[in-house]
Amino acid sequence: MHGVVCRHGRLEAVSGVDLDVAAGERIALTGTNGSGKTTLLRAVLGLHRQVEGEILVGRRGARSAAEWAWRRRACAWIPQRPAAGRFPLLARELLASSGAPAEAASAAVRLGVGALGDRPLSSLSGGQLQRMHLARAVGCVAAGAGVLLADEPTAALDFAGQEEAAEVLTTLPVTVLVVTHDRAMAARCDRTLEMAAGRLREVR
Amino acid sequence: MSALGQVGDLLQLVPVQRAGAGLLLSALGLPIVGVVIVGLDIMPVRFAMMHVALLGIAVGQLVGLDPVLCALVACALAGAGVAPLARTADGLSGAMGLLMSLAIAAALLMLALSGVNANGAFALLWGSILAVRPADLAVLGALAVALPALFVWRRRELSLLLHDRELALCSGVAVQRLTVLLLVLVAVAVAGAIRLTGALLVDALTLLPALAARRLGRSLVSITLWAIGIGLVVNVVGFLVSLAWDLPPGPVLVLAAGAVALAAHLIPERRTPSWREPAASSVPSLH
Repeated sequence: MHGVVCRHGRLEAVSGVDLDVAAGERIALTGTNGSGKTTLLRAVLGLHRQVEGEILVGRRGARSAAEWAWRRRACAWIPQRPAAGRFPLLARELLASSGAPAEAASAAVRLGVGALGDRPLSSLSGGQLQRMHLARAVGCVAAGAGVLLADEPTAALDFAGQEEAAEVLTTLPVTVLVVTHDRAMAARCDRTLEMAAGRLREVR
Repeated sequence: MSALGQVGDLLQLVPVQRAGAGLLLSALGLPIVGVVIVGLDIMPVRFAMMHVALLGIAVGQLVGLDPVLCALVACALAGAGVAPLARTADGLSGAMGLLMSLAIAAALLMLALSGVNANGAFALLWGSILAVRPADLAVLGALAVALPALFVWRRRELSLLLHDRELALCSGVAVQRLTVLLLVLVAVAVAGAIRLTGALLVDALTLLPALAARRLGRSLVSITLWAIGIGLVVNVVGFLVSLAWDLPPGPVLVLAAGAVALAAHLIPERRTPSWREPAASSVPSLH
């Protein structure tokens, strides 16, 4: 990332962020609420529209639709607040959307939500939904994603679940950028960065 | 004459047969359009497309082409035109409102230029089931094939898109292209259905079965199947009732569909197994 600026209308949510992440590195992104962490992550995926500066993943930029499609295949995403959805989606359909249904389903079993495949996502609890998204991310990695962007992936989990999730996330053979307020999760990462008012600094 | 005998006699008439065929075909395609309308949250689409259809009719009268064909083309173009505004959740609803205002203004301007009495153009919007022409049947037939086919062929992408646009984007769905396709199909279907029942009664064929199905089904597939099933039952029963007791078909269809939608909302929600995984728990789910 080089000179990345993201705006919400007139508000500058991310200002001039420079960040180099080596392949396979695990980075924890911390910081107060509203400091721009989620926006930064969404900018990588092209979900935030007002972005300036340069973001490269695997040395590739994203301008055309095909390049964005590659970027989104290369980056698995765990959203902060998984959408409740306007229309019901079955949990197994969510797992299948990763591109590797079998691996995602076995990850779901490991995370204790394997039996919920036939349930609509709207009927799952917050923690169960987060585990499903975690399992989906494992599937994305199996399908070839080399980067994992996780936005507070353990926020809705119980203590045991936080441990489990941190274990799953940090043992995946990919580059990890995780937004988190969980110290244990941050401790498992190679570097910890802190965001404050849209700016980034290295903590550890 | 008994009601049954009257139905039998009426069914011998060609316009009545065409109307029945039209309703059967529309029951295969239009409830799916309703599912899309509910899924994309674009309820005002009917009003918007009605105004766009009027604009198409006005253009047709101005240049001397078939007004209904012009209305269909105008609706298809408008559907494709508003797709870029679908980026945000409420972008589409707002776009429909904008489209509606612009279309009616342009239509009135066209009508004034062509010197046609506006009432004449409006009359085309008050479709009637018994005035269905073979060309209308062709449009409905094409929709009855295209929509279910699309839903079978692109089931996975559609359920992701209708659930959450961003999740669909990140799962490699061609969101933009699929949205354009859906909006064009919705626009053409609404324009086609206007000919069948009139602008005010389009809901009976599209939205109401989908609303009832939304309540009964738990996934896109089951909701779609419910919607088609309800559409078929409502159309057949409503049509036969209107024939038997000599009632206007449009209102009877709406009332029948409305009754089903209401009933679907009144029956208690199906009990799902408890949240907790071992099904032993006897705590009822909190719904």
